[in-house]
Amino acid sequence: MSQFQLMGIFDDEDGVKSAVRAAKEQGLRIVEVYTPYAIHGLERLLGLKRSRLSIVCLIAGALGAGLKLWFEIWASAIDWPINVGGKPWNSLPAFVPITFEVMVLFAGLFTVLALFMVTRLYPGKQAAIIHPQVTNDRFAVLIEESDASFDVDRVREMLKQHGAVEVTERLTAEVPA
Amino acid sequence: MSQLEFTYQPPRALVQTLAALVGLGVLTWVAGLFVDPQRAWGVLLMVSFWLLSMGLAGSLFVGLQYACGAGWAVAFRRIPEAMTAAFPLGAAGLMMVFLFHPEIFPWVTHHGKAGSFHAIWLNRPFFLARAIGYFVIWFVFSAVLIRNSQRQDVDGDMRHTRRNIRASMAYMVVFSFTFALASIDWVMSLQPEWVSTIFGMYHMSGLFVSGVAMIILLMLWLKRSRPLCDFVNDEHLHDLGKLLFAFSTFWMYLYFSQYMLIWYSNMTEETVYFILRHEGVLKSMFLLNFILNWAVPFTILLPIPSKRSPRVIASMAVCVLAGRWLDLYMGIMPPITNGHVAAPWMEFGMMVGAMALFVLAFLAWFRRAPQTPVRDPLLAQSLSYHS
Repeated sequence: MSQFQLMGIFDDEDGVKSAVRAAKEQGLRIVEVYTPYAIHGLERLLGLKRSRLSIVCLIAGALGAGLKLWFEIWASAIDWPINVGGKPWNSLPAFVPITFEVMVLFAGLFTVLALFMVTRLYPGKQAAIIHPQVTNDRFAVLIEESDASFDVDRVREMLKQHGAVEVTERLTAEVPA
Repeated sequence: MSQLEFTYQPPRALVQTLAALVGLGVLTWVAGLFVDPQRAWGVLLMVSFWLLSMGLAGSLFVGLQYACGAGWAVAFRRIPEAMTAAFPLGAAGLMMVFLFHPEIFPWVTHHGKAGSFHAIWLNRPFFLARAIGYFVIWFVFSAVLIRNSQRQDVDGDMRHTRRNIRASMAYMVVFSFTFALASIDWVMSLQPEWVSTIFGMYHMSGLFVSGVAMIILLMLWLKRSRPLCDFVNDEHLHDLGKLLFAFSTFWMYLYFSQYMLIWYSNMTEETVYFILRHEGVLKSMFLLNFILNWAVPFTILLPIPSKRSPRVIASMAVCVLAGRWLDLYMGIMPPITNGHVAAPWMEFGMMVGAMALFVLAFLAWFRRAPQTPVRDPLLAQSLSYHS
């Protein structure tokens, strides 16, 4: 089964913001907003939940720091103790720089990997661009028919009112759940 | 100064209390001069350096915003501008120490080997000339930045912004060199046999992080007590919180870099600095220093909601400011008192006096111009800002 969608193309961000606000007030279902750059405050208008990437970052950082610290202690105090300048085997200050570096490395790599996994990105993936100009100077707001009360003409009128330069209809295969 | 209407009047009771606290600070100092003059002059050096750093942090913050072309901070820019009022007071206190009791610097009585770099760099005429040079440079740049900003309130001319951008870029460069040298002159030379090349940078990070903490506290207070309530919101607080978090970590980075290299190479002429600060009570204060300045703010400010909560962020700002005082104490006082820690009535009395003096100077300057730069071209951007 396919879904009926209306796509409003805008040429400035204020129009996008007011259209999104109006659509939310009318209880319309906004599938996605495509913009060439990040519009500050849009995520709050759309009511998006906070990204969970920061949690991934925190856990990966703690994991990296913990593993590296364990390895350093194991290597320099248990497995192969070497006397360096008469310092104790477990000299924490000496471990700090490497622990810090590995923490940053883990946190960075795992955050990027998690981002790729969540957004299903991989090398060589074909770009799915909804409108050729959203990567340049246009903004697209995609609204989906959610129930029987969806009035195509009214939604089209609403989008136009908020400055849409073009409104197109499209049918899409239902996204598998 | 400005023809625009601005009717902010700080509560009389507050001004009177502050004046009384300043009086208390002065009395403590005078009493200290009789009890233990060496320590009293040392504490005067410490509080003056604090006042000076607070003032410089104000103009540094303003300059940084101009140099980056940043618009978010415009709405509350009058706070750092007014903070600069503390700078001449700090400079005056430092000059008193340099002129009337230079003996707290050991190189004044025990000269280095004639012709050596120590002897050339650390001699009184050159030292005083340098100090005056720094003061003049900082004063000129701060005055230019503030005057242009306040002139813009009247005529709204874009040229003031352009002039300030140019001045700020020069100020950033000049400031880093002069302040690094100044902290070496005034703090590091208390132990002239000890050198650290990261010292200037380390003091600059302390200056900036405590300045941001002070801006946060003043902003929250002025928002609650009306003058800024229509201009600042949680978005500004959030970004100031990020700065506090980042520079607290930066401070720790430099502090630890200095510590670790000295600990690692373990050379007698270098470890002397830390050995002096590792005896008895000073050892726990040494640890407390990095807990207050980094460990607590870092863990608490890590999640986003705490950077947007006035209560959490205000308590972290207080924590960092307390840490700044401790850091200054650890940097300045041990060489003067030979690592001996006495009941700190002198330190606390003068600290309170210095902070009260700071707030008085701040209020006096804050009243002189509209509470927000009304005609700054970036004000609209700052008011509708999303972090």
